[in-house]
Amino acid sequence: MTDKILTARMDAHPLDSHTLDRYLNTGGYEALRKAIREMTAEQITEEVKASNMRGRGGAGFPMGVKWGFLAPAEPRYLVVNCDESEPGTFNDRQLAERDPHQLLEGMIIASYALGVNHAFVYIRGEYPKVARRMQSAIDEARAAGYLGKSVIGSEFSLDVTVHMGGGAYICGEETALLNSLEGRRGEPRLKPPFPAVEGLYAKPTIVNNVESIANVPWITTNGGAAYAAIGPERSSGTKMVSISGHINKPGNYEIVLGMTWREFIYDIAGGIPDGKELKAWIPGGASAPWFVPSEHLDTLFTIDDVASNGSMLGAGAVIVMDETTNVVAAAHRLVRFFAHESCGQCTPCREGTSWLEAVLKRILDGNGQPSDVDLLLEISNGISPGLAWPPAMTTICPLGPSAVSPITSITRWFMPELEAMIAGSEVAVG
Amino acid sequence: MTATISHWSPENQERAKDILASYPEKRSAVMPLLYVASLEHEYASEDAMREVADLVEITPIQVKSVASFYTMYKREPVGDYLVSVCTGISCFLRGADDVLEAVEEATGVRSGETTEDGSVSVEHVECIGACGGAPAVQVNYELIEGVTPDKAEALIKWLEDTKPEVVLADEMQQLFGGQQSFDWGPADTMGAIRPVPAFGVFGSAKEGR
Amino acid sequence: MADNTVSITINGVTHEVEAGERLITAAENVGEHIPRFCHHDKLEPVGKCRMCLVEVEGPRGKALMTSCTMPVSDGMVVDTQSDVVKKAQEGILEFLLINHPLDCPVCDKGGECPLQDQAVAYGRGESRFIEEKRTYTKPMPVSDLVLLDRERCVLCDRCVRVADDIAGDPLIEFIERGSHVQINTFPNEPFSSYFSGNTVQACPVGALTSVDYRFKARPWDLESTRSVSLIDAMHSNVEIHTSRGKIVRVYGAENNSVNEGWLSDKDRFAFAAFSSGARVTTPLVRDGDTFNEVSWGEALELVSSKLGSFIGTEVGAIGGAHSTNEEAFALGKFVRSVIRSPHIDAQVGDGIDPHLAAAVVNRARIDDLDSAATILVWGPDIKETLPVLYLRVRKAVRNGATLVVASPYATGLDSIATHVVRYRAGSGAETLRKLGQGDGDHSAVAEALASGPIVALVGRSSLAEDPKLVEAVAAYAGALPDAKVLPLLARGNIFGALDMGLAPNLLPGRVSTEDESAVSELEYAWGPLPVDTGKDTMEMLEALADSDLRALILTGADPVRDCPDPELAARALDTAEFTVAFDAFITDSSARADVILPAAVWGEVEGTATNLEGRVQHLGRAIPPRGQSMSVASAIDSIGRLMGTELNAADWKVINREIAAVAPTYAGLTADFLTFEAGDEGAIAPLESDSQPLVHTPADVSVPVVTDRFTLHLVPSLYDDSVVVRNTEILAPLAGHAAVRMHPKDASSIAVTDGQMVHVGNLELPVVIDPDVVQRSVVLPRNLNETKNLAATGAIRVETVRGDA
Repeated sequence: MTDKILTARMDAHPLDSHTLDRYLNTGGYEALRKAIREMTAEQITEEVKASNMRGRGGAGFPMGVKWGFLAPAEPRYLVVNCDESEPGTFNDRQLAERDPHQLLEGMIIASYALGVNHAFVYIRGEYPKVARRMQSAIDEARAAGYLGKSVIGSEFSLDVTVHMGGGAYICGEETALLNSLEGRRGEPRLKPPFPAVEGLYAKPTIVNNVESIANVPWITTNGGAAYAAIGPERSSGTKMVSISGHINKPGNYEIVLGMTWREFIYDIAGGIPDGKELKAWIPGGASAPWFVPSEHLDTLFTIDDVASNGSMLGAGAVIVMDETTNVVAAAHRLVRFFAHESCGQCTPCREGTSWLEAVLKRILDGNGQPSDVDLLLEISNGISPGLAWPPAMTTICPLGPSAVSPITSITRWFMPELEAMIAGSEVAVG
Repeated sequence: MTATISHWSPENQERAKDILASYPEKRSAVMPLLYVASLEHEYASEDAMREVADLVEITPIQVKSVASFYTMYKREPVGDYLVSVCTGISCFLRGADDVLEAVEEATGVRSGETTEDGSVSVEHVECIGACGGAPAVQVNYELIEGVTPDKAEALIKWLEDTKPEVVLADEMQQLFGGQQSFDWGPADTMGAIRPVPAFGVFGSAKEGR
Repeated sequence: MADNTVSITINGVTHEVEAGERLITAAENVGEHIPRFCHHDKLEPVGKCRMCLVEVEGPRGKALMTSCTMPVSDGMVVDTQSDVVKKAQEGILEFLLINHPLDCPVCDKGGECPLQDQAVAYGRGESRFIEEKRTYTKPMPVSDLVLLDRERCVLCDRCVRVADDIAGDPLIEFIERGSHVQINTFPNEPFSSYFSGNTVQACPVGALTSVDYRFKARPWDLESTRSVSLIDAMHSNVEIHTSRGKIVRVYGAENNSVNEGWLSDKDRFAFAAFSSGARVTTPLVRDGDTFNEVSWGEALELVSSKLGSFIGTEVGAIGGAHSTNEEAFALGKFVRSVIRSPHIDAQVGDGIDPHLAAAVVNRARIDDLDSAATILVWGPDIKETLPVLYLRVRKAVRNGATLVVASPYATGLDSIATHVVRYRAGSGAETLRKLGQGDGDHSAVAEALASGPIVALVGRSSLAEDPKLVEAVAAYAGALPDAKVLPLLARGNIFGALDMGLAPNLLPGRVSTEDESAVSELEYAWGPLPVDTGKDTMEMLEALADSDLRALILTGADPVRDCPDPELAARALDTAEFTVAFDAFITDSSARADVILPAAVWGEVEGTATNLEGRVQHLGRAIPPRGQSMSVASAIDSIGRLMGTELNAADWKVINREIAAVAPTYAGLTADFLTFEAGDEGAIAPLESDSQPLVHTPADVSVPVVTDRFTLHLVPSLYDDSVVVRNTEILAPLAGHAAVRMHPKDASSIAVTDGQMVHVGNLELPVVIDPDVVQRSVVLPRNLNETKNLAATGAIRVETVRGDA
């Protein structure tokens, strides 16, 4: 069996992997047939639980367990989160563009298992091609009887609506996404209640990431145990990883977790261009604290090993910085992102992230003050008391603490460079 | 009783009806309808927001509250081509600031501005999910990956000279792009007619050459 | 430990607190104040400002939690003082202040500002923020009444929640994102809400200010007097803020049985009318077409000698609905025992049977709405007449109550109603019958009314409505399962006036004039009472016009403006041989009097008042009467003495004790009881249900069916051409312009289109096509400048509307 689950079809059939014809003649919708004709809703949920698949959206919560929390009230909704916006990630885009039926089949099976008759795909506004591909797939599937009133002749009916975002990173947070889908500002909600109890329109709702749902057909066909058997115990299955920045072979890699970072960066992604030295990398998207070669190259690339080293795997985005990188400028760029994307509803994130950005900008502009290091850390403490990871928060959601990661990373690993920049000496970077 | 906006094109009135019908609750249609209204009014103008408010039966300020939360509803007139240069972290590491500078130089306007003839608006944007193909640029949200400053300059010239009715990602990628995040597969023949994401439901997508 | 309490530990001390309460409230109740900005007791928690962070012990150790969003649970261990908490609060304050202007010295909030206070108590002193502060253009009006200073705003979401959730007017909202977030309105769509002032009061900083208070006073100069508003019969609780003998501001005060702290803008801002130049502040005596100022002595001599010159039954008295209970009682005692006339009425022909108003069976309390499964509103548009009651109904519906609205025209509640029943005035009885039988169209409504608890709000939808229909509706509603009924009259202290016996068929304490034993008991106190049947206002006006009555006492009433037949009222007053008006203004009626006695008004008179649920509350005196104004009771006391009777009406407390003694329903409801026992909640009369003598059972009467072409509905609006609105500078411009609302089919039948002019009576007004007006009816706002003289005589008045060709 191939070690690729999600990208096997697009690799084998680069010219038409997105069409229904190709999907059908490569085993597509067989899992749905099996699910509806041979399995009960409970059995599907059990298989998903048995797969031990941890949600691919970033938080890493086991998908089957999440499904188990769905409250019994009707109607219920499934929302697929394709608001992929974490800087460094672009793998949902590939999965949805290149193999939309795989995602759609996962949605239909999940909806059947969850008792859902109306599902939504929330696609970020900057991904019009994903929306077009998904809509085409939905239209094809409906015409072929996989969607609509009577799915493959069964009692089960399902509508799927494509909803496009309007440009807001925070909508990747599941409750912000639900607000957005309800036609509101994408502000995260207070939890509890969790979406599984009160989600879309205050009804029980499961929000799952694209990659998570795209795995459902395979799990349905092959069983949860087969999935759980792939890779390390608590990082089972394959994982789509995006790698970008100063790297020879940027792109998406569907890998089995468990290798070292050295293997991933150098053997798989081809190492650093032009023979430069690796300075730092972000192991799990812009929110994650950075890793450095002196400490982490031989750390294992698993969810738990990254976590125990004070960072996170997140949505699976690796951003590589070589020796020429001005880490203060890089940190500023990251903090600027979070300040720009802060929804603004809670005080520490709204005021703190933009303050951090202003201080970093001032330092970059040559107007740093010796007290700025303390100030950066104090502001950060006001957002994320204790500066630990996973973070304590004074905020409603983790966006604010995400802006703290670059600060703690540069003060932890590159303090001399920061201090030199504040002092105004044009320190040679690297 | 659902309002209709009688001065909208018959097609857009139909689209509004379909969009409203695709959600269990009307208010959910605010965002898609803002895109349709932005096509009717060339941008998310006050009138556009008022009309969306009528359609979903909320107040205009509730629509503005939503519209202004997101970056893609333009509340000032924009050019025919919105050139969005990604300056997020991965693009930054690969020279995005130089690409932005090249675009600003080629157009003669700064980020956030529109050329005098109303043809091109320039903006720098946060991560657009093309990190593997950094630096990335979008024209009316159609993507080009692996853009260099030279190619960016050529892109602007091409837009101004040829004034394409539909901008196609694959065409622009071939002419001005380089490194891609992943193999895009077969060409997509649909493209954007305005700075509104090209999606059939909105009426913003059109078959290109 | 009671079942509904849980045990929590705060800072090492264990407390029993109410289960389900938010931690911030539970802590407050046991004396642990947690700082906050966005938290507001009456608003849904949003957890936005993060000021109320405390440490709560959980399975993974202590964690920072917002105490405003966290419900208490048994065994919860909380630290509100730890270093971590202090540091977090210090941080939040610093964040809030980095973009906050340092303009406290010129800010209206300075001195009563939670941000200022908490910065002192919890802040770290100086700011380390050296970047440029966020700036906005200085105050922008968000409405005619409210200004917004965005720089001062801490984005706590209180105003948005008040506007959206409480008032149902989502016209102010957050716009933009991140550090650019701000409160704003849509261009040309101001925050026009009857409740906008509540946002000013709720604002925890000086971001929202009212137009009339800006730069007027400093908080440390203010004195505060607790009272209730007499703008309508709800009697919303208020704090009257005075500075140097002037009322400068009215704030809502919390009485959870009544207004829960909310006010209508009329409650809040209309005090300005009483300090306007329009006030009558000296006694006036007619001299031909003008009035001369005279001394009180001269005026009282004249009034007493004139009134003494008629036989008692030749004198009528109209008014008392804007008086205190004590003033109303004094008036009734004077008319019945000194003048010895039975002709007295506090309503002006636009009301309902006084027995129904005073003694409806199973009278509801306002807070019964909170537990109602279904609410039936059949009467006037309470958003216009009793706006704070409208808020209470909104709240109940928000919490899940089913709302049924029956009205011939669109009302403010329609948009949240589960069922709207439209019927044509005149066909109300038929509609009732159908509802009772659950016929066809009405089956869903009948089902909603098939199980309780039900609260029915019942009143007269317009002057076109036969008051008998109100009786029939009350009878129907009272018979519904587990139903309670709240009668809807709106005018100031009308329920107090009726309870004080200001109706031809009532004596003080909800006693029927037919109740012989009660009458003789009162005679024991007052001496012999008139034996004739009393006339109501319309009968008095007719009798005056026919010279069957010869003299009239007006007490704050303006029948020429308010009764259904302005022309009759004017003729009556012109025909009367002598009219004395106790009034604070020259009105269409007092202008026709022979003597005007300047009446002290709300805020200037202490006493009690009774609201629509029968709740008796204390009215505070915040300032002395303006100029030579005097309380009606004091003036009556003097007149009585001049006429040879000691009424003991000069001191409100003395009257109050007499009320408690002679008015059975008010037994025990003394001023002392209200102050020392009842407290701010007030008390519902009677204290013991068996002390009320009158039990009104509404008759299920037949109401005639109308066949004429158009029914004219004159309906009240909050901002009309009343003296109070007209003389409040900031409210006067809000009065609308009259337009004739009619159904599209009717409009086409007379060939008019939207905006075209039509004749209504002798008026020419534009048409507004409105599918929510029931067919064959037209709706006009009552008492606007254009419509003030329009007659709606009789129960059902029909006017033909002709096209303007």
